Amino acid sequence: MDLSVQQFRSKAEQALLDIYEASADGLPGSASIAAMRQSAIRTFSSLGLPHRRIEAWKYTDLRGAIDDVPSLAASTGVSVDAAALEAALGTPIIGVRAYRLVLAEGEFRADLSDVSGLREAGVEFGSLAQALEAPPSWLTESLNETASREGDVLLALNTALMSCGVVLRLPEGLTLQKPIHIVHLDGASMASSTFARNVIIAEEGASATVIESFGTLGANASQHNAVTALTLGSKSAIHHIKLQREALETIHLNVWAANVGAEARYNAFQISMGSALARNQIDVRFGGEGAATDVSGATLARGKQHCDTTLVVEHNVPACESREMFKLVLDDAARGIFQGKIVVAPDAQKTDGKQMSQALLLSETAEFDSKPELEIYADDVVCGHGATSGQIDEDLLFYLRARGLPEAQARALLIQAFVGEVFEVLDDESLGEVFANVSAEWLGAAAE
Amino acid sequence: MLEIKNLYASVDGREILKGLDLTLPAGEVHAIMGPNGSGKSTLSYVLAGKEDYEVTQGSVTWNGQDLLDMKPDERAAAGVFLAFQYPMEIPGVATMTFLRNAVNAVRKACGQEEYSTPDFLRIVKQKAKDLKIDIEMLRRPLNVGFSGGEKKRNEVLQMSLLEPGLCILDETDSGLDIDALRIVSEGVNALRSPERSMLVITHYQRLLNYIVPDRVHVLSKGRVARSGGPELAVELEKSGYADYADDEATAA
Repeated sequence: MDLSVQQFRSKAEQALLDIYEASADGLPGSASIAAMRQSAIRTFSSLGLPHRRIEAWKYTDLRGAIDDVPSLAASTGVSVDAAALEAALGTPIIGVRAYRLVLAEGEFRADLSDVSGLREAGVEFGSLAQALEAPPSWLTESLNETASREGDVLLALNTALMSCGVVLRLPEGLTLQKPIHIVHLDGASMASSTFARNVIIAEEGASATVIESFGTLGANASQHNAVTALTLGSKSAIHHIKLQREALETIHLNVWAANVGAEARYNAFQISMGSALARNQIDVRFGGEGAATDVSGATLARGKQHCDTTLVVEHNVPACESREMFKLVLDDAARGIFQGKIVVAPDAQKTDGKQMSQALLLSETAEFDSKPELEIYADDVVCGHGATSGQIDEDLLFYLRARGLPEAQARALLIQAFVGEVFEVLDDESLGEVFANVSAEWLGAAAE
Repeated sequence: MLEIKNLYASVDGREILKGLDLTLPAGEVHAIMGPNGSGKSTLSYVLAGKEDYEVTQGSVTWNGQDLLDMKPDERAAAGVFLAFQYPMEIPGVATMTFLRNAVNAVRKACGQEEYSTPDFLRIVKQKAKDLKIDIEMLRRPLNVGFSGGEKKRNEVLQMSLLEPGLCILDETDSGLDIDALRIVSEGVNALRSPERSMLVITHYQRLLNYIVPDRVHVLSKGRVARSGGPELAVELEKSGYADYADDEATAA
């Protein structure tokens, strides 16, 4: 009798395998890329979708949560104008002065984008699909590095099915004054799946701000698997910012994976407010001494939204610094998850790692799960973590009301104050203001 | 005019006010004195509408309106202002933002036009100057890292901006050194007017040298035990509260 465990394949898992079978021939890329995809889908086939018995997915049972997977987004010439773009992303972020690259269901839209001056500034950029046909060495290196992060199912699926996204490379020493804003718009006419891969390379001493925003056009049950792989050369700096404002029925799976070189700085900042289920993974690996990262952000969730933020910072070399600060505002029956793992390798002495997550629960039924994991193998390090959850302070509320603020306004002000602390980490004050407005907009909807 | 009749109030099921009567006519300043635990702060919270303070009997009317039927923000709009004994610290809210929100909320509730930002700034600057408040302080988060004196001056600044008809000052002198006490008192005295009533709650007579009251009421065991002119405060300073101590025999 065969006693090997025959893993049950869920409908969604089968759908993903079927999507690969049906579309493999049409996916962009050279023969070596095709081989990479094949290897990745085999990894997925053996692992399946992650479930709660896998520690990193303890609170987000993806296998149980995804019933089915819609077919790949294949539409071109999606009807979207500036007004639809603004409706999908909100006014504050649209107002940010930036080089803008708009992807509608994965297709680059020159009519909505503004990249004038970007190439002249020295930035090499293009669509992933095109770049995969004859990948330059820096792209191959990035793809190989991502493929080597074995066992991460989201990455494996993304490698197997990636078909859109932006690749960009900042040359040595370039300081880009204006941010680059990559806009992901999905679900134009029918629910679809999108697998986007962005690749960002900052050569030695280069620095830039990259904003990614995610919105939904109309068809709400779309699924998005988006990966951004970053390579930061020594002394480079990337400020990476995300606004996730997808429709409340979508599934949003996102991984940012950064390799950070010596004395480089990688700052990541994310605001999550959309999607039925969102998983935000940020993996930072230090590969050179004296590097630093600041990973922070906020989750704003209500209804039955489920938002999982999972961070892994790997201190593989000595003298690197990491800071993590996340704020969650959870209303109704929303569930917020924060998992923060800090790994300090045996010779990564003089590591300085700190982590904090704070949740404000606005209802009895909201839930916050926090799981810090510190794996420290070196003995000369400073590491700390903290997590709090609480409700609105009634004494503060009374103070504001006694000064004439109606209850809803007083609450909103206190929530804004709670979240606002995290915007202060943004070096760019105008961006801090943008996100203050984004959260105010969310709160305004809460007051209705 | 503020009229309190036979007021009973409890906190956490414990009765603190037990049949308090008090009338405060327009334009007058009355001091409420009394030993610890006599119900002074409870009275201030009941008047401002704090939720955990339950009124079980009696009535409070302010210019004929039933105050007890109003929410805290409605009371503020009706002109009731409580200067807190311990002003709250709110990280993440700039003092200036808070002030503008408060003033405009009250103006809106009263059907007045909200101030524009430049207009508001001009008004705040002048009033802050009168109270010797550095404008830089107002850019900091509300009361965070403020000294005791700065917090109390900030309370008086709010009072002068909101222009209330009824000012309740709850132990405004606590935690103040002599210079801060003078500045705060001058700020309060500048607000005295025929239309404005004030209830000055204090444990010590010291404050009343600066803010001279029209009447002094001594609270004991949740009710007014004695009333008199300003000379009553001086007498209390000498004799202490021994006569009003927590002793059932003397209360009778």
